[in-house]
Amino acid sequence: MIVAEARESVVQHRTGPRRARPTRGYRVFQVVNAVILTGVVVATLYPFVNIVARSFSEEHYLIMGEVNLVPRGFSTAAYKYVTADPMFWTNYRNTVVYTVVSTFIAIVLTTTYAYVLSKKHLRGRGVLIGVAMLTLFFNGGLIPNYVLVSNLGLTNSIWAIALPNAISVFNLLVMKAFFESLPVELEEAAAVDGLSTYGILWRIVLPLSKAVVATMVLFYAVSFWNSWFSAFLYMDQQDLWPVTMYLRNLIAGATGTDMTAGTIAEGDQLQVAATIQSVTIVLTVLPILLVYPFIQRYFVSGVMIGAVKG
Amino acid sequence: MLRRYRRRAAMVAASVLSLTLALTACSSGEEPQKGEDLSAFRVGAMEKYGVGDQFKATESLKFSTMMLSNAAYPFKDDWLFLKELTKRTNITIDPVVIPGSDYNQKRGVLIGAGDAPFIIPKTYHPDENAFIASGAILPVSDYIDLMPNFKDKVARNKLEPELNQFRAADGKFYLLPGLHEKPWQDYTLAMRTDILQQLNLQMPKTWDEVYTTLKAMKTAYPDSYPLSDRFSKPTPGGNLINLVSIAYGTRGGWGYQPMTYDASTKKFVVTGAMPQYKQMLEFLAKLVKEGLLDPESFTQADDAARQKLANGKSFAISTNAQTLVNEYRPDLAKTIPAAKMSKILLPIGPTGEVNPASRLESGIMISKKARDSKNFVAMMQFIDWLWYSDAGQEFAKWGVEGVTYQKDSSGKFKLTPDVNVVGLNPAGTKHMQKDFGFYNGVFVYGGKPEIVQAFFSAEEQEFQKVMNARKPVAVDPPYPLTDEEREQVTLWETPLKDFVFAQSLRFILGQRPMTEWDAYLTELKGKNTQQFVDLVNKAADRYKTAHPS
Repeated sequence: MIVAEARESVVQHRTGPRRARPTRGYRVFQVVNAVILTGVVVATLYPFVNIVARSFSEEHYLIMGEVNLVPRGFSTAAYKYVTADPMFWTNYRNTVVYTVVSTFIAIVLTTTYAYVLSKKHLRGRGVLIGVAMLTLFFNGGLIPNYVLVSNLGLTNSIWAIALPNAISVFNLLVMKAFFESLPVELEEAAAVDGLSTYGILWRIVLPLSKAVVATMVLFYAVSFWNSWFSAFLYMDQQDLWPVTMYLRNLIAGATGTDMTAGTIAEGDQLQVAATIQSVTIVLTVLPILLVYPFIQRYFVSGVMIGAVKG
Repeated sequence: MLRRYRRRAAMVAASVLSLTLALTACSSGEEPQKGEDLSAFRVGAMEKYGVGDQFKATESLKFSTMMLSNAAYPFKDDWLFLKELTKRTNITIDPVVIPGSDYNQKRGVLIGAGDAPFIIPKTYHPDENAFIASGAILPVSDYIDLMPNFKDKVARNKLEPELNQFRAADGKFYLLPGLHEKPWQDYTLAMRTDILQQLNLQMPKTWDEVYTTLKAMKTAYPDSYPLSDRFSKPTPGGNLINLVSIAYGTRGGWGYQPMTYDASTKKFVVTGAMPQYKQMLEFLAKLVKEGLLDPESFTQADDAARQKLANGKSFAISTNAQTLVNEYRPDLAKTIPAAKMSKILLPIGPTGEVNPASRLESGIMISKKARDSKNFVAMMQFIDWLWYSDAGQEFAKWGVEGVTYQKDSSGKFKLTPDVNVVGLNPAGTKHMQKDFGFYNGVFVYGGKPEIVQAFFSAEEQEFQKVMNARKPVAVDPPYPLTDEEREQVTLWETPLKDFVFAQSLRFILGQRPMTEWDAYLTELKGKNTQQFVDLVNKAADRYKTAHPS
């Protein structure tokens, strides 16, 4: 109710000077909204600021648990240490390459698949949707997947990461719904003016779909950037690993999976400093965080406003 | 996020399912016979290879090996270890590099998919049991005649009883464990010796003395919890409960086993129902009740316990040789410079002076596919040399003379001045593990005390000297289970363990009074313990009849 009211008041606010003041209900909504969202911001920002503070602190302040929001004993030694490791940069480069290539492939395949599915007159559309939906509920399993990918000869190559994850059914359905909501008149008009099917997709539909494409780029890019599991399964050489695996080994490996019955193999007891872990987290998260502001502008205004009149 | 987790969970479930299918599908493989003809598989092998011989393949060979990459010293393919190994043995290791964080999972996938490398090190017993039925791994016990050093070490150190525990229902073992000459007990408690001195206290020798010592500390510092412990993940109180259990003659914490052998009745009994188990709980409950043991000890993260110690809020903590040197002492040096910290001898209890450590440790599985390789014999000789010969162990640990170590006039080994390892040569610019690849957990297990303790500090060697004088704890008789039995046991084991652990904590923390012990015993019976213990005793009898010693 509040939302509906709010929207109404926005419209009125924009169209006429007659009621310039927002309603009381809307103001209450704004306050509540602001309070809740501030809470969310604090809750999500705090751990991140904490990690940044830890990354710039001296190790013994971390040990004593004295680092909160501000670095203690400011030091960039850990940054120097991490950035001096060539393997870190190799893996970092891999992550960038894997993300860019995989996202590109994923966007092309998802867009074309979703566009086809959005056409109600397509014969066999039910089957095509069914094939996609099936993978949402059923899965070959870890070992069959591994056997498939390795028998296709994809292991130790980027394709082991890019191809099996190229279509996320969830993203596919979101895109399909978006395409279905596009007014069919636009496409009819384009067809009348002599555009082919591909022409319609390329010149009419895609320019109108920047919002959804941007969303999908973001979804895919974030998931490829964060993913480590496919790389873990299919990559047997360290210089092919993405930086997320470097990070995971640093953090999860340091706490030791071998703690059985107190028998730890002798060579394994080295510890990775907490500052090093923090620095690696910061450096890994930063780039993907920076992508958000650039894509955000596509979310702000709906592209569809006023496209069809009458 | 949630979606991804759910998908992961589904994937794991599906993989378990498919693994079981694969296992049942392949379990009808033919049995390798003893004394089978290996002459077709000797390419590259040495004609005469025995104890004391340097192994060198007659032609250059390559063996695929699963290679755990430790975060603290990530794998590098230009390690001197690898180059020198090739030079000495003519063998090149072809690594499948796996991050240490998820080693076991990928090992499972590779073996399940039939893509496992020939050599699969760093496997902890009983992990190998999961792969036996699939026929994917080699029953190595059929081939130990190819391994003179292994046989020699087992015989010389009388490791047969320990090794028997690794045998499966078919009487074979599938894992080549690391062999220690002496049990190596690393874990114990560490205490602030400056506080002991200040309060005029001696180092406690028994758990009762630990109690009085902590009590004296509490009296002097009423605001503290004298003992705030760590190593509680994933097993609550993993180390502490383990150590106290050993002293009382039972098994808890890390060392928990559902069934324990009772030498007086010659039968297995349910561990969680043993009177000794109750005594252990009573002791710890007393510590908690009197404020001597921080109740958070059983749930807190290691770092939290470290912080309390560093801030002077606690004075005692579980330790091993490394955490003492790498964590507690440096922490304290920065926060309380006057503090002194050292290991106390493993406190003893009603069972007297025993050394609880096992003389076997993680070991090597071999892929069944390796058996069909024409280089099979050479590979077994290579494994025998690198992991089990004195020369191989010395090489994997110390490296190359003149580069990583020097011998002094009496023949004692010393690190070269510019090489550092576990902080022994702080000024050294090169690192034994990171830069050279020696002293790598994948290749270094066990051996003579001189080798095991090579990089121990003087005080740790002193500690081990006393520990070595204690008699090794008696080993339970083996009770190998058949596949069906193991499946059944798995179903009983986990709920039983969860129940025992949860109730143990409630007793220790005082949430459940000790007077309810009998009620607890009744509840235990509801966890199928009777069938479980009967099955174990039956399996033990069956093994005994089949292998009368």
